[in-house]
Amino acid sequence: MIEVQRLTKLYGTLEAVRDLSFTAAPGEVLGLVGPNGAGKTTTLRSIAGIVRPTEGTIRVGGHDVQRAPVAAKRLLAFMPDEPHLFDYLTVEEHLRFTARLYQVADVERRLPALLGELELGEKAQVLPGELSRGMKQKLVIACGLLHDPQVLLFDEPLTGLDPAGIRRMKQTIKERARQGGTVVLSSHLLHLVEEICTRVLIMNRGCRVTFGTIEEILTERPDLRGRSLEDIFLSLTGA
Amino acid sequence: MIGAAVYLIRRSLVNATRRRVARLRQPKYLIGFVVGSLYLYWLVLRPRAPTGVPTGGAVGGELLGVGLLAVLVGLNWLFGSAETPFSFSLAETQYLFPAPLTRRQVIDFKLLRSQLPLLLSAVVTALIFSSGHVSALRALRVIGLWVVYATLQLHYAGTALLRASLTQHGVTGWRRQLGTLVALGSVVLLGWWGVRQAVPGVVAAFQRGATPGSAALASALHAGVLGVLLWPLRAVVALPLADGAAAFARQAPAALVVLAAHYLWVVRSTLGFEEAAVEHAVKVARKLEAMRQGRSPYRAIRAPRAPGRIRLRLAPTGAPSRAIVWKNAVGATRDLSPWTFLLIAGLAIGGPLGLTGGSIIGWDILAVILLVLGSVALLFGPLTVRFDLRRDLEMLDVLRGYPVRGRQIVGGEVAAPVTLIGLVVWTCLAGGFAASAGHHGPGLPPLADRLAIFLALLPATAAVLLVLVLVQNAVVLLFPAWVSIGRDRAVGLEATGQRILLMAGGMVALALALVPGAIIGALTALAAELVGLPGLWWVTLGAAAGSGVVVFEGLLAVHLLGGVFDRLEPAATGVG
Repeated sequence: MIEVQRLTKLYGTLEAVRDLSFTAAPGEVLGLVGPNGAGKTTTLRSIAGIVRPTEGTIRVGGHDVQRAPVAAKRLLAFMPDEPHLFDYLTVEEHLRFTARLYQVADVERRLPALLGELELGEKAQVLPGELSRGMKQKLVIACGLLHDPQVLLFDEPLTGLDPAGIRRMKQTIKERARQGGTVVLSSHLLHLVEEICTRVLIMNRGCRVTFGTIEEILTERPDLRGRSLEDIFLSLTGA
Repeated sequence: MIGAAVYLIRRSLVNATRRRVARLRQPKYLIGFVVGSLYLYWLVLRPRAPTGVPTGGAVGGELLGVGLLAVLVGLNWLFGSAETPFSFSLAETQYLFPAPLTRRQVIDFKLLRSQLPLLLSAVVTALIFSSGHVSALRALRVIGLWVVYATLQLHYAGTALLRASLTQHGVTGWRRQLGTLVALGSVVLLGWWGVRQAVPGVVAAFQRGATPGSAALASALHAGVLGVLLWPLRAVVALPLADGAAAFARQAPAALVVLAAHYLWVVRSTLGFEEAAVEHAVKVARKLEAMRQGRSPYRAIRAPRAPGRIRLRLAPTGAPSRAIVWKNAVGATRDLSPWTFLLIAGLAIGGPLGLTGGSIIGWDILAVILLVLGSVALLFGPLTVRFDLRRDLEMLDVLRGYPVRGRQIVGGEVAAPVTLIGLVVWTCLAGGFAASAGHHGPGLPPLADRLAIFLALLPATAAVLLVLVLVQNAVVLLFPAWVSIGRDRAVGLEATGQRILLMAGGMVALALALVPGAIIGALTALAAELVGLPGLWWVTLGAAAGSGVVVFEGLLAVHLLGGVFDRLEPAATGVG
């Protein structure tokens, strides 16, 4: 579903991502792990079509993100770590706006269920300025899930959520993958990655350090066997 | 407390100045600073003859000052927001509210902090109107203007608190504000009655000439009910108009009484606002408790009713660019209620007709008012209605994630302000034409010609509006680092210089964009006249053809700007 080939992204002279390649298949939850400045967010933003790769190609559901951005973007949803919302649209208006952009014809049927599921029902007519950070995060997630995307990109998905929200988010991610969706998430919470990710891509300074299931990584580095993901991460990145 | 406020003001000023000086190393700020400095020199310090600004209690000066203040105060009462100019920033909330200060001290702190920008505004205003000459009288004028600005700011705060209390505190708010509302109603009724009494005499005097007209107007503002109602405005305006230290000293007590009354009003309103909020909350809590204990039927506690607003529907399917138009239209009209439009229409139509008893002069005044309003909306609307890329580009990350082409986004962003402002302009034009339709005086062209001009203005204004909005959006896309994106506007000499440069560039672009349309329009009109089109219908045809060319250019520009949008790189903030 996602094919990233030789992705390189420069910001001026800063090499945020260098020669990165990986794939993520339907039903898979891929975890992007790395220290600050590793290039995780840039990778996610490149897949989402927000930034243009300096070199390399990205395909989502067979569509080249650069050549057929509209077709590729219809398949995906990107949930950034910092919720960006239009300060002059209410919660419900955000969802209606998103519905039109993604041509969700049955939005009237989906709205109440989605608002209820994310505990936003009572806040439907409220502007973002009156929402807590966690509520804003939930609204971004609601907008992302509205069109049943086949590819979900999460940047630090648990930031700002309460314990119930964290549990629900983890369930949502697993459920979407079980239904055949492709999920890519970046997180510093290694226990989350260990718990829900089927494969892990460890990055450092824009480069791929290792990629595969935990078992595959341990096969490559038998000296790390029996140690936690945190130890593996620290050992591989030299952090 | 005062020491802390002064320290904060002083250090903020020093640090902000240092930061500004340091960033002059970047060419975009340096160029802006140079241009801004030249503009300031031209505005304030260039050698010139003393201006004809009225001084020393001159009739014209007082009329102008009182009229301006009355309009500002009236507009604020009618259309002001419920947000006070003394809203606390996040940092102020974090530091001041937990600090061991009384509520009154916190308000004083905020008031004190807001005085520096007012003082600077007073200095700039005084310099502009004094040809850069510095003297003791100019210093007094600065103090006088400062008092005017401070009073006006307090007045805005008072009305905002009143409005907020009425909308947020239910019955409690209305009960607590009853006295103010009664006083306000009395002022409005007495003012209306006073104006109706004065209008016939003033109109008759103006028909004799401008000098007797001005004298009659000045006399009307000093006598009777109007004289009493306008006394606070006259007292405040008199201070910057004083022509010497003695006159200033004579006028100062009255102006300071008005200022002090406003200060007390705002402080009492702020404290009263909090008490009303507590009282309202206690009532709600009691009601909830009664429901829990079964002493009262269970029903949802209604949240305070937000004022009714215009509802715009969006179908879930269809062209995605219409979603962008809808989003921006919702944003631009969020604070407008249908009542606002009714109020504007009532004032624009009822005012002149009511004051002139529905005579033909009233209809003429109405037509002129509507045409002036339409012109103002056309020229200044594109600068003030910023619900387009000027506001949305800070959300570039989000916009770029949507499955929509750049040209569709740019088209949608531009279409929203064009549609909204265009509606206002066309409504004013239609109203102006309708108001003048019944008048067949010797000074007016025949009705058929007026209709032809009206129909010519419809496409012409739309085309000009499209270009004006497009230029504003093109500037944001092509020079994002030079403009303020989002709600906040950059301040300072360098920002002023940048704005001047961009405005000059925009004017050139506007002129260039209109040239092809003007040529085609002129040729079409000429051809239509040559074939003998009756009346002024050749103007209509020429305007339609010229506007068509401009609209075509606009569509082409949207296409090109869409490509720019697709290539635009968000700021490199997301390196994870």
